[in-house]
Amino acid sequence: MGGFLPNPIPHTLNPQIPPMTPDASAMAGFGGPPDFSLMQVALYGFLFMIGILMFLTFLAVLSLPVFFGALSLMNLGLKGTNNLPDPVGKWSKLAGLVFRSLRRNLLRTALTYIALFVLTGMLTFIYGIVTFLGDFTAEKEGQQMVLLTEKFSIPSQMPPGYARQLKDIIRDKLPKQYQPADIDQSFMTWSFVGATLDPTKFSPENNFFLFALDPDVIPSGMMSEQGLNKEDLGEESWDDLLTLVDVVKQDIRYIIIGEDKLKVMNKRVGDEIKFTSTNYKDLEFECKIVGSFPAGSRLGNGAAMQYRYLIAKLDDYLVRKREPHPNADRCLNLVWVRMPSKEAFERLSAVVNQAESFSAPAAKMETFSAAVGSFLEPYKDIFWGMKFIIMPAIVCIMCLVIGITITIGVRERRSEMAVLKVLGFQPRQVQAMVVSESVLIGVYGGMLATWSVYFLPLVITKLTKAVGVKFAFFDSFKMSEWILLYGPLLGIAVGLIGSFLPSRSASKVKVSEVFAQVA
Amino acid sequence: MAIVEVRDLCKTFNPESPEPIRVLVDLNLDVEEGEFVALMGPSGSGKTTLLNLIAGLDATTSGRIRIGDQVISDMSESQLARWRTRNVGFVFQFYNLLPVLTAYENVELPLLLLPMSKDERRKQVNNAMEIVGLADRMDHRPGMLSGGQCQRVGIARAIVTDPTIVVCDEPTGALDSKSADNALNLLNLLRSELGKTIIMVTHDPTAAGRAQRIVHLEKGRVVDDVADSPVRLEPAVV
Repeated sequence: MGGFLPNPIPHTLNPQIPPMTPDASAMAGFGGPPDFSLMQVALYGFLFMIGILMFLTFLAVLSLPVFFGALSLMNLGLKGTNNLPDPVGKWSKLAGLVFRSLRRNLLRTALTYIALFVLTGMLTFIYGIVTFLGDFTAEKEGQQMVLLTEKFSIPSQMPPGYARQLKDIIRDKLPKQYQPADIDQSFMTWSFVGATLDPTKFSPENNFFLFALDPDVIPSGMMSEQGLNKEDLGEESWDDLLTLVDVVKQDIRYIIIGEDKLKVMNKRVGDEIKFTSTNYKDLEFECKIVGSFPAGSRLGNGAAMQYRYLIAKLDDYLVRKREPHPNADRCLNLVWVRMPSKEAFERLSAVVNQAESFSAPAAKMETFSAAVGSFLEPYKDIFWGMKFIIMPAIVCIMCLVIGITITIGVRERRSEMAVLKVLGFQPRQVQAMVVSESVLIGVYGGMLATWSVYFLPLVITKLTKAVGVKFAFFDSFKMSEWILLYGPLLGIAVGLIGSFLPSRSASKVKVSEVFAQVA
Repeated sequence: MAIVEVRDLCKTFNPESPEPIRVLVDLNLDVEEGEFVALMGPSGSGKTTLLNLIAGLDATTSGRIRIGDQVISDMSESQLARWRTRNVGFVFQFYNLLPVLTAYENVELPLLLLPMSKDERRKQVNNAMEIVGLADRMDHRPGMLSGGQCQRVGIARAIVTDPTIVVCDEPTGALDSKSADNALNLLNLLRSELGKTIIMVTHDPTAAGRAQRIVHLEKGRVVDDVADSPVRLEPAVV
């Protein structure tokens, strides 16, 4: 092999927000993400939830000092206001009763808090997943990435000419205002190449997956969704990446492999490798690794090669075998276009759907969101169940937990409730005290749980990165800031609902009956 | 005019059931201001029920109860609650102090429901605690006090609002004899020094003997009413 640079530039990128997967359905069968069955997804989901549950319990126990500390601080604050002029001083004394009641049975209060913390955490987590996927798959306005894929076949395999035809359609048939400002900077093709270092031995050490693409799509920002952008990488790493792209462009045999994969393959930047394609029969490639994608990122286990090299190998096959490669006319898997608006996409989609040139095989245009939605379509029942069965069930369980705790507390303190009534407390005042206890636990449980869960994805990503494990989508998972508000609100609601019956029971305590039983 | 006037009082539990329990039957009773009355009788005679009705803790089936110038038998539950705060002090057999509050806070509790300034509350609580001889135990919680001391805190709580009547349900039932003597002396002191009207339910003839008047109940009726009972103030230190 000649023509390699004497000192290839090692490259490490550290994107903060690694990207989403591309149209994963189209990658299936090429060494891309495995095609899980529904049962497998359910099983993995269940195991994942068990793990989250255990982690949340651990967090809840860890946060107990914070919970009791916060209660004590509030109590201290109330004590501080005891000496203020009435009615502040008077009401702070009555409110102090609530705090003291919570501290009366520390174990029960702690267990209730832990249960609420875990349940709120689970609820928030599920809510986060559902809303995240909902937002991700929702159609968006403004500039958007759209995809051309084969309509009726998974994986999508289209003739390479489709890319040129699509470009021509955009240039010639779309009004100027619906065209990207610079079509060459807004256009990207992907071909998926499954590869193995040893065709006789398929193993993680030998197998890897490559995107065959034009290296110029990286500086144009078309790989931004995959985390290759200045914002995520930082200026310095971005500059390194551009330098790496320049290096790759010098020889069609230069490739970039993710650091995670390099470790598994026991290879390093600078190594020359020879690999056989698993989806392009009889094609062998000789390459040099000139850089790496960062560990833990979406591309950490992937690789990128030049599309031109794939085409060159297909041409070489034609020369050698005197017939086209069986996949020569099916080597284009995806075409990405960055369209200026939703309307522009709809125009383009209408043209593509009507164009005869995209009829054999039939192709379709869809937004990235819709493509992800299509990928998630088989799992929609699971998400429906999470949203409309598990989430309400968790809320009900939370109400039950708090209701049972407060009921036990009220039963234990029936004589105290009766004494309060003897002293002149109105039933509604007794009820308010019981409700306040419940709401306090709910608010703290809800607040601390949601705040913890808000940062949970970050922690898990860091932890999994540290041990070299990666979950699809998870590294892009980010909760809405609104959950920081929803948590305490949920706690208040659960506290109110859960304490409704016991507080009514407390307010209706019949003094004469209570003392008759005591005596 | 009697400060407590009970007329034709009936109390029936489960009146709608096939076997209603008639606890009080056409009962009449007058208690003068500053009087110390003991209600005695066998179990089920209706003495505690009568006490609860006088204290406004339960509703009558029929009849009329007037305390001072207010007819409490016509009041709603919330009206009774408001009335109790000002007009009734209740002393329980088992003290029923709130364990999470100090002695001072327990005594102050009923005052929080009244339109009183902080200084007035403090003065009232201090007075009550001094009367019961526990001014030095203000910051102690019930768990740190003896039974007798708890009962004295309970008495302080009962008198802190300067109520019209003090009702006591077996106030010595959970105390040893010395503490019981102290408690009874204290009740007598409240009557003699502060002019409080005290109605006490008891099974204990000794305790009843410390009252001015003993009313015997049987099957929901007054069967004996011994007035001018010689009041004995035991020499025990209060």
